Amino acid sequence: MKTKRSLSASAGVAIISAAALVLSGCSADGGATAPEQTDSGGKITVWVDPPRVPAAEAFQEAHPEIEIDVVQIDGTVGGQTVKQAFANFDSAGSGWPDAIFFPSNDDIAWATGAASNYAADLTDLLPDVIDGYDPAVLSFCDIDGQIRCLRNDAAPDVFWYNKAFFDENGYTLPTTWEEYGDLAVEIAAAHPDKISGFLGDAYAVNRYLQAADCPTNDRLSESEVHINLDDPNCVRANELLSQMYDGGALTTQGIFDGDAAAAGVNLVMSPGAVWWGNYLFRDTWKIPAGQMSASAPLTWEGESSPTAGNEGGGLWGVSSHITGKQLENALTFATFVATDPAWQVELSTGLPGYGPIQDAWLAKLEADAYFADVPAVQQAFKDAAGAVAPYSYMLYDTGAAWTETVSPTLIANGSMSDALSTFGEELVNRANSVGYTVTAE
Amino acid sequence: MSSTTLATKGTEPPAAGPRASTTPRRHRTRHAESRGAWILLAPYLALFLIAAAIPIGYAFWIALQKAPTLVNPASGFGGLDSFITVITDYRFSGTFINIFSVMIVWLPLMMVGIVGLALLVHASPGRFGSTMRFFYFIPGALSGIANFVLWVYLLHPTQSPLAPLWQEVGFGSLKEIVTDGNMPMILTGMLFFQGVGTWIIVVNGGLNGIPDEIFEAAKIDGANAWDLAWRIKLPLIRPWIGYAALMNLAYGFQLFLEPYLLRQISSGAIAGEWAPTQLGYAFAFTNRNFPAAAALSIILLVITLSIGVVIVMKSGLFGDEKEEKR
Repeated sequence: MKTKRSLSASAGVAIISAAALVLSGCSADGGATAPEQTDSGGKITVWVDPPRVPAAEAFQEAHPEIEIDVVQIDGTVGGQTVKQAFANFDSAGSGWPDAIFFPSNDDIAWATGAASNYAADLTDLLPDVIDGYDPAVLSFCDIDGQIRCLRNDAAPDVFWYNKAFFDENGYTLPTTWEEYGDLAVEIAAAHPDKISGFLGDAYAVNRYLQAADCPTNDRLSESEVHINLDDPNCVRANELLSQMYDGGALTTQGIFDGDAAAAGVNLVMSPGAVWWGNYLFRDTWKIPAGQMSASAPLTWEGESSPTAGNEGGGLWGVSSHITGKQLENALTFATFVATDPAWQVELSTGLPGYGPIQDAWLAKLEADAYFADVPAVQQAFKDAAGAVAPYSYMLYDTGAAWTETVSPTLIANGSMSDALSTFGEELVNRANSVGYTVTAE
Repeated sequence: MSSTTLATKGTEPPAAGPRASTTPRRHRTRHAESRGAWILLAPYLALFLIAAAIPIGYAFWIALQKAPTLVNPASGFGGLDSFITVITDYRFSGTFINIFSVMIVWLPLMMVGIVGLALLVHASPGRFGSTMRFFYFIPGALSGIANFVLWVYLLHPTQSPLAPLWQEVGFGSLKEIVTDGNMPMILTGMLFFQGVGTWIIVVNGGLNGIPDEIFEAAKIDGANAWDLAWRIKLPLIRPWIGYAALMNLAYGFQLFLEPYLLRQISSGAIAGEWAPTQLGYAFAFTNRNFPAAAALSIILLVITLSIGVVIVMKSGLFGDEKEEKR
């Protein structure tokens, strides 16, 4: 009886617990050797996130001769489904798409890492396209001297402000980060419902820490990274954010929060990417036309040139596992989505990364007549790319480390310094966990 | 004499004699019975092999491999290294603290809710009882994503019907409501309403299986409704309660979807590796460390298996108790 009982018991429990193993069910050993490059004879499969579906459709229209499968993928920034698929493809040695829009810019780290090596080196495959980019815009694709991706849109931060509000109240536009901090506190005291920045989204780390040139993503080599939140550059960002947060000028919400629009319409000024204008102010938060404007990125006191962060600005990759006609068609696709005005100028909401078509896109701002001072906005957009501080996308997700630590610490009544030191610890833990050697120097 | 006695007992093979002629038929019957049993069991066994035994074995094998790292892409036999990687990970203990903090609130509420409501429904015969059973079931019918969407709406600080309550206690944004500290309460609410209806029906089924004679006999002995519930029904449905506890506990250890989606609605304020299963997911697909993911699965298996065995032993689940008493 005893035997029968424990047997049936363990069988029953095992089936219940088996679900715990579903996750590992698809596991296989990594480190598979690189398979041969294959050629389908021409047909290509491309993966795009929902906002980039029109790009693929425009390509189909322009190139009906190329047989193409367009697969719509989960576009969540920091999402894991694409990573999961690629981990499985790399283990199986097949299944990769021929070209992809990476949902997160961080994806370029694993896509060029030894374990995957998915993204083809485009340096010699598309030299003319690469020449059309400002090297500053393409710097995120430059991995150890090889260009491994193409930039969809340039996303440097400019300094956004509500011109109508500034004019009405007679405030002077700040030109340094320190002036921004002082004015933010002054405005918050005079207009308690107005805010001067968002802290709770993954790009806030770029907006403030990258803009301060704080080493969070300083890649030394494929296995070494420099992280140090005590660096003087991080300290100046900490001081700025502490001053503004304590003065009630910042919200713990993030720009993408489902309920951020209420705070968004009260934003009077903030550093923010060029795509904030159309995507956030006009389309998401529905701020009326004729209010928002942009100026050049801010400068740190004592420095001669401005420094800015960069928020996204998606990356296109091409598979390193294909050759022949299939590769040729994939390259045609990549060239089209990165450079063709049919997508980049007519349809895309972001400033094209590819230089020669930027002016055509900027000219559209005049026809849109949304911004308060269109020539100033156009100039700010042009100037911003050169101000972006160096930053490398890594195998750890800096934005996720930020969202998990900074706003939660502040909401739990911690100080900005507490929040940033928690963030720093989380970042080092993450970097160690994925296998980096972390140095503080 | 002896041969007759043995044969009448019917439990041991009959000896030689007149009865011997029945032996082949009996053997045939047994043979047919066991064949029927195997046929009935076959679909389960096939699924058990595919969905449990083989993955478990495979997970053990994978867990003993060595994961390639950034510095050293070589793999091979790694012994127990991946278990050490998992246990020494900076998030490991935190993920278990997280799910325990939910289960300590949710499981007692869940069990009391299931049993209490099932007993109430059973004690209210006729239309009222069946109407209530239907009402309790409704939230359970909103399973998975539907239930989740409902909760996102309920938690929303401006659109929710509970919005005045949220604002009263000082919550102005989703990020302020969906915090680590509030996760046990939020998950308790989600899991309770999602599961309780279904389990009331299961436990009610157990109550319906008790013969009416027992209740009549108890009433004749002077038992009131309270005595019936406490002294008669509760002990008799113990296996069902055990089953409910076991399944809910197993669910608690496998929480994945709920924290995963709560992370999304809080725009990343909840850790991506909040529950152990999420940590396993991160090992596999962020760190590309499949051995560590497999090792974590095995750790979870051992925990749920041990708890499961204890519950099965204590509650007499699978009806072994009756046989034992015979």
